[in-house]
Order: sequence, then structure tokens, then C-alpha cells
Amino acid sequence: MAAGGTPKKAGSAIPPKKIMVFGILGSLIGIYAGHFLTIMFGPVFSFLGVLGAICAIVWGADTVRRVCSYGIGTGVPSIGMLAIGMGIVAALFGLEIGGIAGPVVALVIATIIGLIIGLLGNRIMKMGVPIMETATAEIAAAGTLTIVGVSTSMAGSFEIYNIVSHVVANGFIALVFIIGAIAILHPFNSNLGPDEKQDRTLAVAFVDGSIVMIVTGIVVAGVSIASAVPTLVIGLLIWIIAFTKYYSLVKRDAYKVVGTGLLPTEEELS
Amino acid sequence: MEPLIGMGVLALMGAAAAIAGMSEDLESDVGSQSNPNSQVQLAPQMMYPHRIFNKAISGEPPSNALMCAIGGTTAAILMDSMGMSVLFSVAIGALVAALAHGSYSTMSFFGRPASQKRFKQPIYLDVLRSHIVAIMAFAFVTTFSIVIISYLMITALGHPFPLALLAFIWGIAVGAIGSSTGDVHYGAERQFQNTEFGAGLNAAQSGNIVRKGEAGLRNGIDNLWFCSRFGGPATGIAFAMTVFLSGWITLVFDPSISLTIGWLSVIAGLIIVLILIIFNRKLEVSARNTYGPYKSDKEEVAA
Repeated sequence: MAAGGTPKKAGSAIPPKKIMVFGILGSLIGIYAGHFLTIMFGPVFSFLGVLGAICAIVWGADTVRRVCSYGIGTGVPSIGMLAIGMGIVAALFGLEIGGIAGPVVALVIATIIGLIIGLLGNRIMKMGVPIMETATAEIAAAGTLTIVGVSTSMAGSFEIYNIVSHVVANGFIALVFIIGAIAILHPFNSNLGPDEKQDRTLAVAFVDGSIVMIVTGIVVAGVSIASAVPTLVIGLLIWIIAFTKYYSLVKRDAYKVVGTGLLPTEEELS
Repeated sequence: MEPLIGMGVLALMGAAAAIAGMSEDLESDVGSQSNPNSQVQLAPQMMYPHRIFNKAISGEPPSNALMCAIGGTTAAILMDSMGMSVLFSVAIGALVAALAHGSYSTMSFFGRPASQKRFKQPIYLDVLRSHIVAIMAFAFVTTFSIVIISYLMITALGHPFPLALLAFIWGIAVGAIGSSTGDVHYGAERQFQNTEFGAGLNAAQSGNIVRKGEAGLRNGIDNLWFCSRFGGPATGIAFAMTVFLSGWITLVFDPSISLTIGWLSVIAGLIIVLILIIFNRKLEVSARNTYGPYKSDKEEVAA
């Protein structure tokens, strides 16, 4: 038996298309607002970039959830790594050639790379997952927007020379890579099981996104305290709200949440 | 640089690596991360509910890379941009990493059993309270040691990579070694102490992990106690050897002096690998002669 239960199409209370629109629009608005408002009004607004990245993370986590419900048990972390690996190539390439349209170009390139890798997975490696092609395109796009969003916040703009000097040259790109990947793969991985629910998984995506935001706040503190304070405060707020929501959903979904106790008896189990 | 100072730095790095390797393995054992996690996850489905922490963040290499990257980045920011002392920067970096790791662990602890409602696996809050502290403490020690190793490499040995990137790479390394060396001790031995030693894992035994301890119900802290006897130290030695020997060959045969000496370092590395292969082979053969092979029924009757 697959660790995620029998392979099946995941039931979603919120339709995938809606989350996709939320992910793309939310992150692009965040990235562009973060870029232009920072240039116009100063670094206080740089937190908008990583706020956009949270939208992309939620989208990515939902896509991972849908594709991994087809019995990709231990492959969940690999899917997240694949997402961000495709994303980092597309993000740097798109920002390099795209100029002001950089994030959109990166998004398009990521979608193409994702589609090709999905086709390779399904046609040549014969993985036989029905939604593989579209799902890899979606996670590649989500990974790209996550990287662009976080980098925009860290550098204060998405112009490639800023990103190279503020994110790539000092090695912070390694942090962006791994924290983005974990944020996309961890929500479904930590809720894996036959009774997994979409809202609970997405609540974890918000918690993980808030950790990305807090860490981004620490990184920008090295450049400007004015941009670090709103990033840290909003990140902490999102963490508290999302965690409270998640805990209430856990109490709703779990068999029972107890302070302590013995194991369920034989009669209880049967 | 004086070769003797270089050797001293390398010895210090090896010592930090021994601590990092041990704490990494024990951290994963308290929460049942990585390979043993599959049995902890499977047990309730096979009607064996338990009181063991289910920490499914990801494999050990990515989750340790994340911890160490967060620690390294925070330390780099505090040191370079805010002028804080090295020790404080690294300690605060490790603290931030431990807090983030605690958050990821808590999410998995709640999420996995909640998704097993139909198998009636309860969520015990006292398990979270007692285990999360140990998990975060070990995460702190691991991150601290790894960032110290990376810092020593940059300042004393002149490594060109930035701190965040080096910490990330060593994080992957310590996670990989912890996963391959230490997990065997927990997964194969501790979880299946109720089966005959050396019997292998029969499919019928899947999920039938030991759930009752020496006193009361077994939990991750009991597994930590067991693994700290052998699995943890073995991982520490393995990681320390990796750090020490890989640095030692280029320190003794410094490639920056001449190309010939550079090739000598490659040959020295190959000889070390060869010695390790022969040593492992001898160890395996002697272990088989002493304890095995596992007897089939016919031989047992004949004996």
C-alpha cells in the first residue's frame, strides 16, 4: 500500500483553478508592488515581495497535494526539490532577459520547463500519474514565483544585478532554495495520510510561508532596519494566525486530542 | 599558513563534526524522522497505535540543510552587518534555526496522526511537550557545530564560499551521514526488538513496532536513550572522519604549492578509501563468521 493511501484523485474543497489564480495573481502583484513601492517610497514596502511568495507557496503546496495523492508516498520531498530546482533556473534566466517583465518571463519559462519534465516523467519514465504534466508545470511556476518573491524582498528589487549582489553572491540563495523547497513540500508531507484535508494542509502552507517571511526579515535586517521591522512583524502575525487556525483544524480532524493517556483498547480499535 | 596551525584547526573542526553528527542522529531518533518514520507511520494502519513522535519534515539531508542554512545566514547577518561577536552570532543563528525546526516538527506531529483518524491514532499533547524540547535542543547543537565548522573553514583555512552556502552544504552532508549511519541502529534494531536478531523484516511484521517500554509505553525519549549508546556516537565518528580526512589530504599535500603535490593529495584520498573498503570487508566477514549466517530450518534440525 502506498504511504498516502490508495492512489486517487484528491478531493478539494477549494477548486485548483481558484488557488492557481490566487497563487499567480497574488505573487505577481506582491512582487511588482514590492519592487515599485520600494523604489518610490523606500524599503518599508519590500515585505510585499515575500507576501507574494506566500501566495505562490500555498499554490505550490496545493499542487504537491494533488499530484502526490496518486500514491507518491516518499516522493513528496523529491517533488518539492524538483519544483524549486526548476524554479531557480527559470527565475534567474527570466530576470536576466526579461527586464521589467522579468517575473512574467520567468513564470512562462518555468511553465515550459515544467511541462517538458512532466512529459519526460510520464512518457519516458512511465510514471503514469494522470495530472503529471500540468502539475509539474504548476509546481515549477510556483517555485519560480517563490524564489522571485523572496529575492525581491531581500534585494529590494527584482533587477538581476541587485539580486546577484544581494542574494546570489553572498550565498543567501542557498537559504532561499531550501526554505522555499521545504515550504512547498512540507505542508502535504506533514499531513500525509488517508484522512488528509485540503484546508488543514493549506494552513501549514501559511505557517511555513510565515517562517520564510520571518527569515527574510532577519536577512533584510542586515541592509535596512526599516524594511526588516514590517517583514518580521507581519511574518510573526501570520504565523500566530495560521498556527491557531491549524490547531483548531487538527482538533476538528483528529480521532482525539488528549493531554495524556493509554493506547486505545482492542474494543476501541475494532 | 603554518601546517601545524592548519592541523590544529582541522582537529577542532573534527571535534565539532563529531558533536554535530551525534546530535543530528539523536535529533532524528527522538522524532522518528527519515527511514524509521515509515514504520511509525504504518503502525496505526496495522492496528498498532503508539505514543511515538511522528516527525515527517522531509528526509534528513533537506531538513538539516534548512536548519544549518538558517543558522549560517542569521550568523552571517549578525557578524558582517551588525558587528556582533562570532560566538554570539553563531549562538543566535542556531537559536533561530532551532525555533524554526521546532515549528516544522510540531506541524508534522499534529498533521500525520490527524490524517490517520480512521485508524484511531490519538494525538498525545504530553508527547509533544516532552519531545519538542529535546528535538529543538539537538537542532541547536547540530546547527551550532555546523556553523562553527563552516566559519573555521572560511577564516582559518581560507575557503572562498560564503558562510550561508558552506553551512547549507555541510547541513546536507551531516543529514546524509546521519540518515545512512545512525538510522540503521534505530530502525532495524530498536523498532523490532520483539523479533529474532538478524531475522530481517518480514512483510507480516510491517508496522508491528515495539510500543511498550521497560516501564510504561515506549516513546521517542526511550529510543533516544537506546540510540545514544551506539547509533549516535557511530554517526558522530563517521561525520568527524568525513570532515577530518577530506580536509587532511589537501592540508598535508597542499595543491596550491604545485600540481604534483595536488595529484599526491588525490592519491592519498584514494589510499584512504581503499583502506576503508578493506577494513569494512574484514569487519563484515568477521561479523558473519561470529553471528551468522541466519540458519534455515533444515540446518537447525541437523544441529
